[in-house]
Amino acid sequence: MMRYRSYLLTFLSACIVFGSWEIAGRIPVSYAFPTFLETIAAFWTLLKNGTMFVAYFETLKPLVVGVLISSFVGVGIGLAIGLSRMSDWLLSPIFVVMQTAPLAALIPLLVMIYGIGLTSKVAVVIIMAMPVIVLNTGGAVRNTPVSIVEMAQSFLGTRRDVIFKIILPAASPIIFAGLRLGVSAGFIGAILAELKITPTGVGDIITYSRSIADYPSMYAAIMSIILLAVIFLNVLERIENFLFKGAKHVYASD
Amino acid sequence: MRFFSKQFGVVFASLLLVVVMFAGNAHAAKIRIALAETPSDEVGAFFLALDRAKAMGLDYEWTAFADEELAIQAVLGGQMDIGFGTPYAAMQRSKAPVRIIFQLSKLKFFPVSSKKYSSLKDLNGAPIMLHSRAGGTDSIANVIEDRVGIKFGQRSYVPGSQNRIVALMAGQTDLTIVDLANKNKLIEQTGDKFNVLPMFEVDASDEALFANINWIKANANDVDIFVKALLSVYQDMIKDPTIIRRETNPDGPIGQLPKEVLAGMDGFYADAVAGGLYDPNGGGKKAALADMDWYSKAGQLTGDPASLKIEDFWYMDPLNRAMK
Repeated sequence: MMRYRSYLLTFLSACIVFGSWEIAGRIPVSYAFPTFLETIAAFWTLLKNGTMFVAYFETLKPLVVGVLISSFVGVGIGLAIGLSRMSDWLLSPIFVVMQTAPLAALIPLLVMIYGIGLTSKVAVVIIMAMPVIVLNTGGAVRNTPVSIVEMAQSFLGTRRDVIFKIILPAASPIIFAGLRLGVSAGFIGAILAELKITPTGVGDIITYSRSIADYPSMYAAIMSIILLAVIFLNVLERIENFLFKGAKHVYASD
Repeated sequence: MRFFSKQFGVVFASLLLVVVMFAGNAHAAKIRIALAETPSDEVGAFFLALDRAKAMGLDYEWTAFADEELAIQAVLGGQMDIGFGTPYAAMQRSKAPVRIIFQLSKLKFFPVSSKKYSSLKDLNGAPIMLHSRAGGTDSIANVIEDRVGIKFGQRSYVPGSQNRIVALMAGQTDLTIVDLANKNKLIEQTGDKFNVLPMFEVDASDEALFANINWIKANANDVDIFVKALLSVYQDMIKDPTIIRRETNPDGPIGQLPKEVLAGMDGFYADAVAGGLYDPNGGGKKAALADMDWYSKAGQLTGDPASLKIEDFWYMDPLNRAMK
């Protein structure tokens, strides 16, 4: 029953959102705002004629490269920050600055340095994704309960044992939370780069449809990104649950 | 008791806010203008017209949008009254009741290339760098293909004429299409290292003034003042391009631009007038016909160009009254 309840609630919230969208489109709130059904029809057309797949092939390049770099390097730097005070002092400020920097305003600078190709798009994804991964990992590692670290040490565990058998497993839920946040920030970065640097992939569908006033296609492209991000985050959550059984969410009301 | 007084305070404050908002709306007789870019020397003539309109009793406020599409959407959504741009696709596809009332500038763009090419005929198969898919320069490329009987190679897109000029000078592309100001800059900076390819005459609009037809009819008086002011500035400017700089309000958004920009304004308007960027009669029927032909070829308008009706895109009354 519990299981069904969660699906039912998800379905209900989707109905409310899409229903309001349909109504807003039918009023219409603006001539530039299509209804939900028009958008779904445009989405289907884009899927059927293959435009969407070609576009995602382009968009996923900077996204995948950027997210992979951010994840591996980010978790590594985060570990260093969490384990050593020196690295914390040295590196944390950079990521705090990166996280708060108004990225859209910095894009001309990135273009000046990296040009208009893939590199600057990857850079945008990294700037969006990496800080949250690094800072979450650093915080999680630093907050490992002292008692279990002391326990490992009293069992004569080496430093390596302490890191890999105690600290990393203890920090993993927050590291994964950071990864999830980082990946969704990466999605934002990839689209931002495509809208602000050169229109390719999904960013191109958005700008092109807007130019020719094909608003349903424009919203279909935007919706597809959200959909993909949600699916990807769900997969990441499954992986997390699979790797670290027992860390399942428990709700206070259950 | 304290709890109630706090609640009462919140309710009272909200009521006050609502009253203030309504009062604000009641006084909102100002016309709201959506600019497609931040004020620059290129909209000097437009701001001069605004100054003249103000002297004739027009009350206005303007908002600069990051790009033309946003300005168009703001007018479609009713947040703005009058906008900058060429919303032909929006007029046809979304059936939005917006109409163009004045042509602000023509699509004067220039194919520039490295020494590899010297005429439009050489461009068959040549890769070209343009502003954006379905944008103005993309439509120019389509029409060049159509008229000259060639087919460009791969098209890549880099927004902003100034960025494409940089790419051309850096050798990242051999061929692009840029606006008048950037073409002149290229010639000025590099002399004869690059070619400006001879281009045919274009009468279609690059920027036009448009608004919701119902709003235009309801505010006919304001619109008449505005169009009259624009027409007078355009006619004066074509006689003497230096008038824009001389008459620009030194405290206005254009007058506050850096000195170097202001110093270049006479040159810019002299070149623009000589290059035929502005129509002394606000475009009118000639521009409407040219636009329908152009934007059909460019792919923004669909259907048989002969079946398109001027009334579906232009509303001529204010311009006709101003011409009298």
